[in-house]
Amino acid sequence: MPGDAAQIRLGQNADEDSLRAFRAELGLDKPLYYQYLNWLFNFVQGDFGMSLSSDYPTIQLIRDRYENTLVVSLLTAAIGIPISVSLGIIAAMFPGTIYDRILTLGSVTLVAAPEFFTATLLVLFFVFFLDIGSAVVVGGIEGKNIFQLLAHFWLPVMTLCFVIASQLIRMTRAAVLNVMSSPYIEMAILKGIPRSRIVIRHALLNSIGPIVNIIALNLAYLVTGVIVVEVYFGYSGLATLIVQGVQTRDFILIQALGMIFCCTYVILMIIADVAAIVSNPRLRHPK
Amino acid sequence: MKTYKNSRGVVGNFSYDDLRPHEKEGLITAIKKGATRREVMGWMMAAGATVATAGSVFTGASAAFAATPKRGGKIIAAGDQHGPKDTLDPILNTAAIDYFRGRMFYNKLVRLKDDLSWEPDIASEVIPNADATNWTFKLRKDIEWHNGKTLDADDVIYTLERHLGKDTKSNGKALVSMIKDIHKVNKHEIMLHLDSPNADLPMALGTFHFSVVQNGVDKFDTAIGTGPYKVKEFKPGVRTIGVPFANCFSGAGYLDEIEHYGIGDPNARLAAFLNGDVDMMVNVDPKAIPEVEKAEGKDIWTVESGRYLSIVCHQGVDPSNNRDLIRAMQLCINRKRIVKGDLKGMGSLGNDQPIGSAYFDHSKDLEQRPLDLEKAKYHFNKSGVGNTEVEIIAAEVAPGAVAQCENLQREAKKIGMNLRVKKVTTDGYWGAVWMQGSPFNVTTWNMRPTANIMLTLAYASSSKWNETFWKSDKFDNDLVAVRGVTDAGKRKQMYHDLQEDINMNGGSITPAHLNYTDGAASYVKGLTFCPLNNFGGAESPPYLWRSDA
Repeated sequence: MPGDAAQIRLGQNADEDSLRAFRAELGLDKPLYYQYLNWLFNFVQGDFGMSLSSDYPTIQLIRDRYENTLVVSLLTAAIGIPISVSLGIIAAMFPGTIYDRILTLGSVTLVAAPEFFTATLLVLFFVFFLDIGSAVVVGGIEGKNIFQLLAHFWLPVMTLCFVIASQLIRMTRAAVLNVMSSPYIEMAILKGIPRSRIVIRHALLNSIGPIVNIIALNLAYLVTGVIVVEVYFGYSGLATLIVQGVQTRDFILIQALGMIFCCTYVILMIIADVAAIVSNPRLRHPK
Repeated sequence: MKTYKNSRGVVGNFSYDDLRPHEKEGLITAIKKGATRREVMGWMMAAGATVATAGSVFTGASAAFAATPKRGGKIIAAGDQHGPKDTLDPILNTAAIDYFRGRMFYNKLVRLKDDLSWEPDIASEVIPNADATNWTFKLRKDIEWHNGKTLDADDVIYTLERHLGKDTKSNGKALVSMIKDIHKVNKHEIMLHLDSPNADLPMALGTFHFSVVQNGVDKFDTAIGTGPYKVKEFKPGVRTIGVPFANCFSGAGYLDEIEHYGIGDPNARLAAFLNGDVDMMVNVDPKAIPEVEKAEGKDIWTVESGRYLSIVCHQGVDPSNNRDLIRAMQLCINRKRIVKGDLKGMGSLGNDQPIGSAYFDHSKDLEQRPLDLEKAKYHFNKSGVGNTEVEIIAAEVAPGAVAQCENLQREAKKIGMNLRVKKVTTDGYWGAVWMQGSPFNVTTWNMRPTANIMLTLAYASSSKWNETFWKSDKFDNDLVAVRGVTDAGKRKQMYHDLQEDINMNGGSITPAHLNYTDGAASYVKGLTFCPLNNFGGAESPPYLWRSDA
């Protein structure tokens, strides 16, 4: 990574004197360990520090964006997860049928399609062909209710639903089918229990662990990894912010966001593990 | 549909534009009240005007009436890159998005016009002494800040002092480094003493970084300016919203709200513009121009500028200081193809020196260097470089920056030159590649308000930005001497010689000047055409209005 925050901010016009003055003002002239310890000391007290690339405190830059990220993630999760998990289960109920094949083909295609491609197709179809809505997200979200929020973000949410659906459908199907091949299900089949009841009553409960894990991973992706969608639809979220932090060499901002992303990830993983333990009594009784 | 360019239509030998303001006002009032063409012409001819003059004045006045700005409505203007680095501090402005935002909220001492002349803004009068070493600025007394205070000399002095001194982080300091001291004459008058003559000082003070800020303000989480809009919301990298400032001395902004933010992805920006989600966009990709021109109600807003693309030949290292090699490369770059093909006509031919036709001091007599492979081959053979690989480091720092190298590579192959284009990322380019010792690399420069500022920044041997590391005492001396020349003929000749010197002996392969090519919806009126940046030199915010408001 060439350059530092002072150099990036001064751009093509940077010269030695301005750089020295600016570095001193930002504290970049101090030794690295001092800068790091200073940041750490403040951070553990809840002070995220001043952004190096901006005249604003880091926390404010984050505050301006986390709402967007949160709303988009929650809407995507609320819509995408139930639909894809149900589709995955249905596919597992009728493996090898034409319905299963179409769904598998569809989800494999979607996995292969990058987000910007899906997004472009959606914009072309809905915005330019059907003339519905905006090609980018315009304006803020203050004072909007849930339906207005949905209308505000519907294209990014739809794009992300396609992205997570492709994985969730396949993983749910695989997890359920995996359980379906175990001896106790064979027993149930021999006893003559209808297939739909076997899947929902007997197989699904045992596959909750892996499914929740996949859901948690997807949620983490929604919070941290949706840069392409944010850039494409022109709204500011946390993923874009961390990339901009890297572009502007603003390591105070990068560290703060890194911490937030780690915490999100850890918390989601803990929830997934707890869910797995709750659904599977065997995990509660270590041998 | 249309393409707006910076051409000024003058009807007849005397036109509406030549009237005095109160005459214009009287005429427009008459037309508003329903005066017919015959009546107006009758009045004017009674006052001694000819038929042609009276006719042209009426035409101009009706056009002006049709173009009388209406208040109301909202405009969303989409820039390109934005991020945490967005700032309201004028001295730290680095990008188009900062300049446009700055013009919403601030004013400068003078205001730059479309033809790059200036007129007073915060200063009511600007008076130089005979050799342009002392400049007096008389300030208007009726200027109110957004926070209700009244502007006086201390504010202007504070603003200027932020650009001076060794430790300043100002991006515009090179333009005012000749200011020796600032003298406060009285509450509404200041005098600047310069080290050396500078007839271009007011032009420099009309550029982006010299927006006047309030005395003592050193935190810029909001903008306390004197401009036509005040801050309603400013979130770096998210959006800026301005609302009219009713007490602005030059008149409140026409729009109820003006919003400015960036859409980094060019395709998304174009889609948003074509779909009507935003009303204006910067940097229409040359490839997309036909699409915009085809679209109903969308116009290309292009301004011919002196901004340019160039390949730097480092004069201090081998092989880029080989005169014959440079000449061979200059002769085999296909300039027309870059302008017509890569830039889709939104540019003009470059001539291996930075002063394009948009500059006042551009020399028309300097012969355009052609594409001449035979001559190029002669120079290439003479250079003795032979089959040795020549490497150009390229990053897409401006539209066509990489394409110019590939163009050169294609043509150079025909004369047997072994040229390689090494593509690197634009991220960090200015710190890691530019002026870091590589023999050949790409560069781009925005237009500066005057030829002298441009030449001083990029070619004077003492400049920190002398990117070609070119050293010529004669050039340096003439560049300083011309600043004090008041004779027009002599000045013209001197600027011609300076441009010819770079063209013949400098280290630049400059194939093209780039227009600023933006898009605006047809109902957006009040466009400016100042050639210094996007959105009409970022001079447009005070004038923008909606015809459908």
